[in-house]
Amino acid sequence: MSQLQARFFTEDKRYEVDDVPFSIPAASEVQDLSNIINKLLEAKHASHTKVEFDFLVKGQFLRTSLSCHIEAEGISVEDVVEIEYVERITAPEPQECITHDDWISSVHADAEWILTGCYDKTAKIWSVEGKPVMTMAGHSDVVKDVAWVKRDGLTSLLLTASLDQTVLLWEWNSERNKVKARHCCRGHTGSVDTISTDPTGSKFCSGSWDKMLKIWSAVPTDEADEVEEPADRPRKKQKTQQLGLTRTPLMTLSGHNEAVSSVLWCNSEEVCSASWDHTIRVWDVETGAMKTTLTGSKVFNCVSYSPLCRWLASGSTDRHIRLWDPRTKDGALVLLSLTSHTGWVTAVKWSPSNEHQLVSGSLDNLVKLWDTRSCKAPLYDLAAHEDKVFCVDWTENELILSGGADNRLYTYRYSSCQTDAGA
Amino acid sequence: NKDEDDEDLSDSEDSIYSGLEDSGSDSEEDEEEGSDDDGGDVDDNAEDQSLEDIRNTVGNIPMEWYKDFPHIGYDLDGKKIYKPIRNKDELDEFLDKMENPDYWRTVHDKMTASDIVLSDEQVDLVNRLQRGQFGDVNFNEYEPTVEFFSKDVMIHPVTNRPAHKRSFIPSLTEKEKVSKLVHAIKMGWIKPRRVEDDSKGRYYDLWASEDSSISAKHKMHLPAPKIPLPGHEESYNPPPEYLFTEEEQSLWDQQDPIDRKLTFIPKKFDSLRQVPAFSRFIHERFERCLDLYLCPRQRKMRVNVNAEDLIPKLPKPKDLQPFPTTQSLVYRGHSGLVRSISVSPSGQWLASGSDDGSVRLWEVCTSRCMKTIQVGGSVKSIAWNPNSSVCLLAVAVNSEVLILSPALADRQVVSSSERLLAAPQEEGPSEESDTAVWSEAEGEELNQGIRLKIQHPKPVHQVTWHAKGNYLASVMPDHSSHLQVFVHQVSRRRSQNPFRKSKGLVQCVSFHPIRPYFFVATQRSVRIYNLVKQEMTKKLQANSKWISSIAIHSGGDHVICGSYDCRLSWFDLDLSTKPYKMLRHHKKAVRSVAYHKGYPLFASASDDGSVIVCHGTVYNDLLQNPLIVPVKVLRGHAITHNLGVLDVTFHPTQPWVFSSGADATIRLFT
Repeated sequence: MSQLQARFFTEDKRYEVDDVPFSIPAASEVQDLSNIINKLLEAKHASHTKVEFDFLVKGQFLRTSLSCHIEAEGISVEDVVEIEYVERITAPEPQECITHDDWISSVHADAEWILTGCYDKTAKIWSVEGKPVMTMAGHSDVVKDVAWVKRDGLTSLLLTASLDQTVLLWEWNSERNKVKARHCCRGHTGSVDTISTDPTGSKFCSGSWDKMLKIWSAVPTDEADEVEEPADRPRKKQKTQQLGLTRTPLMTLSGHNEAVSSVLWCNSEEVCSASWDHTIRVWDVETGAMKTTLTGSKVFNCVSYSPLCRWLASGSTDRHIRLWDPRTKDGALVLLSLTSHTGWVTAVKWSPSNEHQLVSGSLDNLVKLWDTRSCKAPLYDLAAHEDKVFCVDWTENELILSGGADNRLYTYRYSSCQTDAGA
Repeated sequence: NKDEDDEDLSDSEDSIYSGLEDSGSDSEEDEEEGSDDDGGDVDDNAEDQSLEDIRNTVGNIPMEWYKDFPHIGYDLDGKKIYKPIRNKDELDEFLDKMENPDYWRTVHDKMTASDIVLSDEQVDLVNRLQRGQFGDVNFNEYEPTVEFFSKDVMIHPVTNRPAHKRSFIPSLTEKEKVSKLVHAIKMGWIKPRRVEDDSKGRYYDLWASEDSSISAKHKMHLPAPKIPLPGHEESYNPPPEYLFTEEEQSLWDQQDPIDRKLTFIPKKFDSLRQVPAFSRFIHERFERCLDLYLCPRQRKMRVNVNAEDLIPKLPKPKDLQPFPTTQSLVYRGHSGLVRSISVSPSGQWLASGSDDGSVRLWEVCTSRCMKTIQVGGSVKSIAWNPNSSVCLLAVAVNSEVLILSPALADRQVVSSSERLLAAPQEEGPSEESDTAVWSEAEGEELNQGIRLKIQHPKPVHQVTWHAKGNYLASVMPDHSSHLQVFVHQVSRRRSQNPFRKSKGLVQCVSFHPIRPYFFVATQRSVRIYNLVKQEMTKKLQANSKWISSIAIHSGGDHVICGSYDCRLSWFDLDLSTKPYKMLRHHKKAVRSVAYHKGYPLFASASDDGSVIVCHGTVYNDLLQNPLIVPVKVLRGHAITHNLGVLDVTFHPTQPWVFSSGADATIRLFT
């Protein structure tokens, strides 16, 4: 097999070539094919400038020579091989390195601001450029998770969850740079490890070490909820610790047998939670009932949902990232396993704009960028961290963030060339 | 000319019969012509005769027909051959007979009417013919015959003639004969041969009615083993290598007759004649008889067993998952060897005690050190209260046991543990010197979380909690004293020494997880005491020299025991007081053993730097023995000062194992 018939096609209108089969050497690699396409495009448009392409054969990225790939995938060489090409995803460019005082437990960023939770019991707001903006100290223990809730002009609502079993709802005015703890959400009896706000920003969900999920209202009010205090609790001491008005949960979802490690909203009615009891459960928020259980074999550390491809990605302690389809009723159906990490996968995040890409962080100090079409190996390894990675995030404006035990938050600019992604 | 011709002819005739040598040259013959009566040489004479031979053409007729003529016939030219002049009379004849030595060989030729003296060869020929032999001397009548038709297959056929057509065609004659016979049988003229019926019973099976018991009796009969055939060394003239050298000879002499390879010395004789009678013949026969008579012969039932079938069928480790396989986290921070670790009942926190005088509390899932408590002495043992409604930690430092409240739990849990500790001390009956003294911590120690101190008379090596979380046992190993174990009741701040007598150096103690039993491991054995009846119920004999640690299965019926002589023994309490199984997987002393609470796993830590995880399923069925399969060797700890892994413990809910080592690290394997 020295030559084979191939037909090139793309969904990108800019780089279309004629729909005719070519006879190309079977040993050609990505670079050779890219050169071929560039030659064709130059012949077509005189103004064409050289672009690097990546190639997909039957939905899988070409990473070896074409003949090896075809042999591995078992594709017939009798027919014309259909090769799709896309513009090459360029490596994420390192942007900022934001140094904290202590380990970074969580990060959540939007277009302008980065919110990080830190082991020094504070949460911090940074500008995207890496300037410190605000430090919120109020928790009596390590901040485990942070989340933006809503932004109305200059005022933003944000949440911090802590090991001290509370979630604080903060109001932050970015103009005056003032922060105020509006509510202290009490109810968990274990460290609150994870929080997530619903798409509308009116509710949020928290998961805790006490095996419970709780749904809270995220709307700040001026009234404190009634709390049933244990009779023998020293009231005075508790008052002094109070920061903001006390809030009680709207609903408690119990069903997990172990600590809840990660929660997220799939949509405004569904909450998905991953737990140490080896399950991912999907809950109906309206009724509080469990809808689906996806059972794995190892502890789940993190879970992420992509509304684009409607898949769940989970990171577990056995070093694999697994992709699930939550709509399958009987669960336990792993669509794909992404294996390259050598430590626990502690964080995983889908790209908000590309249905194929996700980013993962692991205890092996690496952040990896994955494409589901290339499940054998990650697209890029981001090896900036010198210690365990605990959190990753991916913003709408294509910024990848990762934080870990080396006290540093790294940001990467990810050049979004995927104009065809939404198509 | 004529003469020559004749000569030639006669020559040829002569050569046929007598094989005389070729005639000499013609000139010679001419010379000697005429010298008839020389008579010296017989050969010459004969030659003369032959030379003079004139061929008479008259043929084979009675010669008396020419009696009256002067000639005797005609030569080849038709000229008359005249009779030689015979001038001999009877007297001459007689004289000739008397005097001529060749007379006996003189022959009268009728055809030429002349006398011919026969040569020696001719006389010989005559003699041979008279004897009935062949005329030619050189003819060998006894030459080997060349077999023309022989058994040997020749490469060429004797005749190359193709097979006759007749051989392919069925014989008409035979066909005619057969058809005649068939016709005759059909017509009944010929009767086929009758089968002779054996009605008289002349032939019968001799052994048909034989008793089967006789053959059954001999079924197990074994023929006597045959005497081995004689070898070269038994030969009267053995090859030289079979003869003994002096060394072999001396060796043979020294050996016991039973040990000798040969019962005799090979000897060489020049001939069989010189071989003496075998002196040991009777002896040897007798021994052979003894062998046959005394040696029991049995049919050996050889069982063909595959060696692999004898290995017990253990399930593959792959099928026994989950179990820890890889190192996931390393908890770094201690500066001295970490002697003891303990995981909180929730599985969120890990407490470790080290020789650097500190107790550290770690978050399990991130390896974050949350708290460091300086206790001012090397920590020998640390134990988390197994009751999840309280959050307390017992730490053995020097001769003190500290009760810590790490305040890492829910407020309610913290307050309930405070309440447990806040109970007033009962007034002890007496203030003896060898009791434990309780005191509350103050000042800085209180801020660090230390709540209570229990002062012991001797250094404490181990602390362990009862499953309910109210009782605490501490061990002070001491050979001589009966005061080795204390049982403390935290809620009433009371201590008591349950034993009055020393039964040996106590290594470690443990409470039964469900029933009121108390396990005390001394150097050689484990004693089990019933705390209600206050008596010893069982004594487990570990077949090891020095027990280092014990662990009780969560069901309470199984105990594993690690020992400093590299062994791990599993006891099934229902089965026996002897170990059900001994595992010798470690190369060096086993320091610590642990059971998992939920999963069928147990682990052992050793000075060789490895932790070995074994699968150990315990069945509720009393008839089924526990299934023990070693599944994984976990390495990671560096060996420092000849110490490897010092403590091992399982995560309460996940199949994870923690190990602490002399390299000041704690490692989590998942």
